[in-house]
Amino acid sequence: MSQFSVSERAAASGAMSQTRAPYFVRKKKGITPRTIAILVFLSICALFFCVPLYVVVVTSFKTMDQIREGAIFSLPTIWTLEAWDHAWNQACSGIKCEGLKVGFWNSVFILFPSLILSISLAMVTGFALALWNVRWAGAFLFLLFICAFVPFQIIMYPLIVMTTTTKIYGTLWAVAVIHAVLAMPVLTLIFRNYYKDIPTEIMSAAMMDSGSFWRIFFEIIVPMSGNILIVVLILQITSIWNDYLIGVTFGGLSGQPMTVNLANLITISTGTTNYAHNMAAALLTAIPPLVVYFLVGKLFVQGVTAGAIKG
Amino acid sequence: MRWSRIAPQLALTPALVVTAVAFVGSIGWTAYLSLTRSRRLPEYEIDWSEWGRQYDRLFRDAGWEISLRNLIVLGLGSALAIVFGFVLAALIDKEKRGESLFRTVFLYPLAVSLIVTGAAWRWILNPTLGAQSFLRGLGWDVDFNWLAQGDTAMYAIILASVWQSAGFYMALMLAGLKGINSEIWSAAKLDGVPMWRVYLEIIIPMMKFTFITCAILLSLGVIKAYDVVVAMTNGGPGQSTWVPAYFTINALSAKSNLGYASAAAVMMLAITFVIFIPLVALTAWQQRKREAV
Repeated sequence: MSQFSVSERAAASGAMSQTRAPYFVRKKKGITPRTIAILVFLSICALFFCVPLYVVVVTSFKTMDQIREGAIFSLPTIWTLEAWDHAWNQACSGIKCEGLKVGFWNSVFILFPSLILSISLAMVTGFALALWNVRWAGAFLFLLFICAFVPFQIIMYPLIVMTTTTKIYGTLWAVAVIHAVLAMPVLTLIFRNYYKDIPTEIMSAAMMDSGSFWRIFFEIIVPMSGNILIVVLILQITSIWNDYLIGVTFGGLSGQPMTVNLANLITISTGTTNYAHNMAAALLTAIPPLVVYFLVGKLFVQGVTAGAIKG
Repeated sequence: MRWSRIAPQLALTPALVVTAVAFVGSIGWTAYLSLTRSRRLPEYEIDWSEWGRQYDRLFRDAGWEISLRNLIVLGLGSALAIVFGFVLAALIDKEKRGESLFRTVFLYPLAVSLIVTGAAWRWILNPTLGAQSFLRGLGWDVDFNWLAQGDTAMYAIILASVWQSAGFYMALMLAGLKGINSEIWSAAKLDGVPMWRVYLEIIIPMMKFTFITCAILLSLGVIKAYDVVVAMTNGGPGQSTWVPAYFTINALSAKSNLGYASAAAVMMLAITFVIFIPLVALTAWQQRKREAV
């Protein structure tokens, strides 16, 4: 039996199963051994997922002396913010030692133009492809679908040449623009899928109202896009903030985002590594997307799955 | 009315230009470069008598062979994330207690950059100060020094990738499980079918679509894997953790060999499509079958 017909039937018999509920709905059972087993197993798994975060947090508050004792899981004997201060103000990335704050602000200044650029482009394109009769829309959609899967490496060199010719290579703008370009296919597919469910009645009414393309877009479509906009925003904020490859390729020396600074910090092999500094730097880099995640967890799931399923 | 036909086409122009230039044109450009002798700077002359020289060299390069082998190892290893994700989703779905807490905990690594993930695991796997010394202190003779040894370094990368992505597959699977009618569970219970058989013979076949989606995303993630390698091992020790994505960028930036890097990039695209076309065709076929009923 196919999944489709089953879910169909489930919807149809929704009311019925409600009245029959006492029979079939999971009983409010007491705690059985199996429940305990499942909960214990899940808790152990949860521990596995929490350990790295715990280790990073406690290490960042330790002194280097305590770290050398080798008790990675122990709490700090002396809690100190020295590592955080060092990571923010003095950590070295390459030859410069100005701390992660430089990269942090770079990441912020990459994020905003990139968000505006990528989302507005994808919104307009998705709208035009979903609701207007453009003859080659189908072919273009297929092409976008293919582009969404193309590995970055194959377009990397031409993009470097193009950004160099336009003199933006090595600046924040290059990173921001390349993010927008690479995200365009996926975001367009997401918006297009959202808009294609808008009833044709609304569109014809808007057309009768002598609505032009842009008037319909700004007066009807944009106000209707709240939900999908939030989802796409979360998707883009996390993926732009967490990116490394584009930042390191197009940021040059002055336009590097925070992740590139952190990578430089953790991969240097000269001298003794100060793990407290590294862990504080890792946390500083991780905090912004984690805040987004904990604030809007449910929408975050929607965001990544929308981006993942790609139309 | 005429205006209404021109406006949408005008609105599509930027996206069309981006697609044509940044994607189609750039792919062609790189493919063309892969046939030339370009080194640091591009050369646009093709010596047709030996147009395949970059590919010839590539297939004989031990580093490329390692990269391909690691790609397979990483793919198989990361597939554990799907299995793990399914088990977690099934257990959470079965035992509704604490659902939102577990979901939150399992999924948070996905919100974090792979560079951060790499930094954290690199620290835990540190042989002298990390988990190994702690466990040895407890009297367990374990060997966690994976990162320094060529034959185990890939395991560390797999561990970090599974940790990062298992929650994501859990979320997809949980959505799939919730779409399954509760009557199926009751019917199976009434018939006294053991749970594991219900999963194996009914639930997993019903969730084929979700599994294929996960497989597509996994394989794309594996082919694109670069950040996690840089953060964990930077390709080392030696070349033992090279993957095609790393190989390509290394050929371009460290070796400044443009023609060679282009050939590797073309091979990456080819691998993507070899994996991706059958899977997408399968998805489309499944979807059509589902809609036909």
